Amino acid sequence: MTAQTGVLLRLDQAEVCIGTTRFGPFSFDVLAGERIAILGPSGAGKSSLLKVISGEYATANGNLSLGGKPVESLGPAALSRVLAVLPQSYQNTFAMSVELVIGLGRLGRVAAGDSNQIVRQSATLARAEHLLHRTTAGLSGGELARVHLARVFAQLWDVSGGLLLVDEPLAALDPGLALELFDRLSSFTRLRGHTLIAVLHDVQLALQEFDRLILIRQGQLYADCPSSVDAIPILERLFEVRFRKHHAGDLLFISATATQGHS
Amino acid sequence: MRRYPGWPEPPITLVLVGVLFLITLVATKYGALPLDQSAWLFWREVPESETLAVGSRHILWGIRLPRILFAGVVGASLGIGGALTQALFRNPLAEPGLLGISSGAACAAALSIVFLARIPGADTFASHWLPLPLIAFSGAILVCLFLNGISQKWMTGSMGGLLLTGIAVNALAGAVIGLCAYTATDIQLRTLTFWTLGSLANVSWTLVAVSSGILLVTWIAARPLLQGLNALLLGENIARHVGVCLPSLRLRIVLMVAGLAGFAVAFCGVIGFVGLVAPHLVRMTAGADLRVVLPRAAIVGAILLICADTLARTIAAPAEVPVGIFTALLGSSFFLWLLARDKGRAV
Repeated sequence: MTAQTGVLLRLDQAEVCIGTTRFGPFSFDVLAGERIAILGPSGAGKSSLLKVISGEYATANGNLSLGGKPVESLGPAALSRVLAVLPQSYQNTFAMSVELVIGLGRLGRVAAGDSNQIVRQSATLARAEHLLHRTTAGLSGGELARVHLARVFAQLWDVSGGLLLVDEPLAALDPGLALELFDRLSSFTRLRGHTLIAVLHDVQLALQEFDRLILIRQGQLYADCPSSVDAIPILERLFEVRFRKHHAGDLLFISATATQGHS
Repeated sequence: MRRYPGWPEPPITLVLVGVLFLITLVATKYGALPLDQSAWLFWREVPESETLAVGSRHILWGIRLPRILFAGVVGASLGIGGALTQALFRNPLAEPGLLGISSGAACAAALSIVFLARIPGADTFASHWLPLPLIAFSGAILVCLFLNGISQKWMTGSMGGLLLTGIAVNALAGAVIGLCAYTATDIQLRTLTFWTLGSLANVSWTLVAVSSGILLVTWIAARPLLQGLNALLLGENIARHVGVCLPSLRLRIVLMVAGLAGFAVAFCGVIGFVGLVAPHLVRMTAGADLRVVLPRAAIVGAILLICADTLARTIAAPAEVPVGIFTALLGSSFFLWLLARDKGRAV
């Protein structure tokens, strides 16, 4: 798939049922190269929406298409060459070499000639190159997050116009590293024309770094709006908080205060 | 530096092969009767009058060597079966014996030994050696599919839940086998005891060839799936996202595990714990990369079972102790040590 300005991903009345809980229906288009933040209160179904998009949850109703083709029609290997997912948490029961874990991002490739090179470059980009010779046993949460970020980089290293889904990518990282890795993730996707869809808790980051907000409440689409100052009232209603705005040059900073308290 | 995605360099594997070879040679020295070392020279003409040489030759080539090779092949099958089971269920404590896959096979075999024999016409079928492995295989595959369904639907990622289900399956199979034993005739009872305790005594060169064939086919079929299984160790969602077709991978591994466990049970009864211990020993030194774990678990499993069987043959010679007793002694103490070391972390 090449970089294009058309619709990359289309959800058409997509709906999933997990047990007795229904999510959706969701209908929206994602343009190639867009940067979308999914926000919402805890338990609203943000991660579930991400799993609908990644095809992990089969849709009960409606359609999901990627690059004009129904997602079900793409085989797992073909899908893995377009779509990469960075989950919220990782299993670390079995000790594997970090190099192998990152290399598994290349599993969907038929010819894996220069994989070694790509694995090192991905590790370097994710600031995990010093971990390459270790195993995952005894890695801290932050180190493991970097290893898996590198795996995702390796997966979409030599394609353009792909789709990267990340779920709370910065949760396990300290603030300095979180910002640096987000910058690297950001430039990685921009450079290759990848679309980025991220579940976030950080409203500030969403407003600053993303083009568009998809807001979820109680398993439903609450709002779908451009990421700008105008979205702040909607965000206030969504989270039931009041945001205080601070301007510093071009940048806008917001801080939350509880609605029940003084404001 | 390990190459990727080629196969890692295997010096330790070669050392293990050497150890296996030496142990096989040493094991032939011990047995109920002393052996004249000239028996190895199979090309030499031996006159009938040299009774020791003739007897030695018969014992070595007709009895001892096939048995040791059979122990090696079965041990390797159990090691590979254990490694694949642990990967499939992403649980380092999983093993065909602990999860009830072996007892499912034994249960099916017991049912056919006792009840098929009562049906006129089916009795000759049941006593033949070929159908029994197939019946044991189907018992193993039923339990495998049941566990696979349960682990996916009811308790995704639950480590303890799967083992608890295994305990329940084991207890159920135990009850059915007990019922079979209760209603069995004396002759049937002796056959049943063989199933439940495990023995390598009924061996022939044909059996060695058949079991090696099964092992070889499984090994060839498993090799291309190992990177996918490595991805599965990181979690189901990650495996799917890097391009693994999970339903097909799962089904193939289930068939292999059921095949290895079912045929091992059919040929030599329930031999527990080798499948747990062998992959564990390998992972402790080499990490969880299945491309390394699988061949080494096979070799370590072979070494373990040859040692256990040599003990079983010699410790009370000329009588024979069921080999399952030795593997259980070895395995259960190892299992307890594992639990103590991890302080329950792995469960």
